[in-house]
Amino acid sequence: MSASKNTQSTGMLPRLLSPAIVLLGAAGTVLWLGATMSGGETFYFWGIWLIAAAGALYLWRYRMLNGPAEFKDHLHRAGRTMAVPIMGVTLAIIIGGVIMLLTGYDPFEAYGAMFFGGLVRNWHISVLNAAPLIFTALSVAFAFKAGLFNIGAEGQYYLGAMAATWLSLRIAMLALVTIPLVFVFAGLLGAIWMIIPAFLKVRTGAHEVITTMMLAHTARYLSPIFIRANGGDPADSTHPYVTDKILESSILPRLQEFLPNANYRVHTGILIAIVVALLIHYILYHTSWGFEIRAVGENKDAARAQGISVGKNIFRALLIAGFLAGLAGFNQVNGLDHRLYENLQAGYGWNGISVALLAAGNPIGVVFTGLLWGMLDAGGQFMARTTSTPSAIVEIVKGTILFLVVARYIYTAIGNIRRRRQRERAAREQIAEDARQEA
Amino acid sequence: MFDYDFLVNLLSAMVRNATPIAIAAMGAVVCERSGIVNIAMEGIMTVGAFTAAIVAGATGNPWIGLLAAIVFGGIFSMLHAFATVNLHLNHVVSGAVLNVLALGITAYLMIIIVGHPGTTDSIPVSLSAYRWAIPVLSSIPLVGQMLFNQTPIVYFGFIMIPLFTWFLNRTKVGLHVRAAGEHPLALETIGVSVYKMRYLGVLVSGLVGGMAGAYLSIEGNVSFTEGMTGGRGFIAMAAMISGGWHPVGAFVAALFFGLADALQVRFQVFQVLNVPEELFIVLPYVLTVVAVAGLVRRSRPPKAVGTDFMIERTQD
Repeated sequence: MSASKNTQSTGMLPRLLSPAIVLLGAAGTVLWLGATMSGGETFYFWGIWLIAAAGALYLWRYRMLNGPAEFKDHLHRAGRTMAVPIMGVTLAIIIGGVIMLLTGYDPFEAYGAMFFGGLVRNWHISVLNAAPLIFTALSVAFAFKAGLFNIGAEGQYYLGAMAATWLSLRIAMLALVTIPLVFVFAGLLGAIWMIIPAFLKVRTGAHEVITTMMLAHTARYLSPIFIRANGGDPADSTHPYVTDKILESSILPRLQEFLPNANYRVHTGILIAIVVALLIHYILYHTSWGFEIRAVGENKDAARAQGISVGKNIFRALLIAGFLAGLAGFNQVNGLDHRLYENLQAGYGWNGISVALLAAGNPIGVVFTGLLWGMLDAGGQFMARTTSTPSAIVEIVKGTILFLVVARYIYTAIGNIRRRRQRERAAREQIAEDARQEA
Repeated sequence: MFDYDFLVNLLSAMVRNATPIAIAAMGAVVCERSGIVNIAMEGIMTVGAFTAAIVAGATGNPWIGLLAAIVFGGIFSMLHAFATVNLHLNHVVSGAVLNVLALGITAYLMIIIVGHPGTTDSIPVSLSAYRWAIPVLSSIPLVGQMLFNQTPIVYFGFIMIPLFTWFLNRTKVGLHVRAAGEHPLALETIGVSVYKMRYLGVLVSGLVGGMAGAYLSIEGNVSFTEGMTGGRGFIAMAAMISGGWHPVGAFVAALFFGLADALQVRFQVFQVLNVPEELFIVLPYVLTVVAVAGLVRRSRPPKAVGTDFMIERTQD
């Protein structure tokens, strides 16, 4: 390490590079996410190029700081981390195609429509889907790091949405004041909904899988009461049931306000989600709170032996997880719908579990898997509309991706079998060689 | 209003509502006793309910539908066994993934077979047509109507209580299954495969989970609706924990949830109190939390439940 420190004598360049990388990456992300295909395709590719440039600069900086040997090692490690998800996704798409063939649909046509819909034509819907997914997945991922399973993120999401609606209907102040207030309030209600499972987990050991799941169902059924109390009229025949529209001052700014070509519906929620993901990454890996939570997640006994309070950290982790899931509600109400619908926005909590599992609980990974899931959903809808393929095939592909990615041991097992075969073949050849020589 | 008839209705509804939860909970007991956590019960029940409705609708015979549900529940559960035993995957993660997969598979097959999402077509004959009042016993006041004038799967649930208790406590295989959940290494040492016992435990939960699902679609109902399990797989987990990982306890706990469910419907219908009906719908869910919180400390899970067991093979 000290040797590589000395190579820093290349000077100020690496230090100057950091802000450039951040700026390029941020600008690229905004351009990429905000692009629509109706006249704005140039933005889309500009965004991708900028992100690629930021990535290249980052690698260059890494190489300068740490030397070529460690750089190679870093690349190798990154490649190995990426290999399993990429293999899983590819395999699942193939399996989905085989299922379509067996049931009489054309997989090429269907997948063509799915990718065209998800990545090009309805890219804005993919982005809109991804934002709440990233929040709920961050919630599940954060609990996962503490060795806990927040299977009921859906419940905290509902609570957050109700809280956001309630406050947004009532306070009329500057948007600059209102939006942060609503943001915090939605998160807090999500966290409060988590107090019961957290308390029970610490005090009685009641498994959080059951308690959060049951509270998720509870929150779902309580939402109609809330909607009725806030403008929902049961006599009105319009379906679904809905509250009044929230005040103008609490609506999240749209991307269109600074990117004229962006789709009208895309809002800044996705950018907030990415910032929160970075923040969670920072908390987990660069603060003592994060360290303690991860220590408890890795090994409770070892953590206790080190003087880390297991109960306190479990409580903390679950509450933060609740906060994050509550933010998904804020995103949905203040960003997209501007009112609370009954049941229409359901599912983001459940899907967040998949997104978090796919990213192996990594907060940065969650951003990408969230976008992937959002893309599959948007593309699946487009596919069902334009071809006759049922969109449920996307659910099967999603389930298969998950199974293939989380069951990492499959690849280890395949590798072991291959190595054993090679050894056996080598041994057989050796025996044959020996026999020939003897002859 | 609260007369004898009401009580009889309430109690027999309690037994009926408890049946799918109780059957799934007893299956989960065997599974957890073998050392595998099975939160995939919800997905298994979904698969069972769907298969039962489709097969019963196609053949016109609900018994074949029930059989198909049991078989397919068992097949689906084997994915969980493969993932947790052979692939050494975290049990809760595998269960959560399989729940997602079950929803996807049933939704897709529904469109292929039925042609539209939502609800399948009604089956011609449901299992509730085979209601059987046991002679003599059913004429006992109250208890007779509640326990001995029921539909087939409810009786299967009753039979399972002594059957599973006997299996776990009195048979050699049952003891091996329990050993796999308490001290797998000891079991492996005496030459019994822990993998096989854990597969068996999961298979039992899959078979009866399929039956519990069939109850929902072809006995308590006449068709399959997406999302009809409504968290019952998880309530079954709660019943298993509250019942102390024992078939009898699990059944009693399930009766409690059945009662909450039966009361909930009656509160809604009779408008006893002037409060929103949704407050009653959440009653079973809230009671589940209370039960898990209150009873969990008194029961002890199998020692090695949820832990991975891997046989280290020496290099050949």
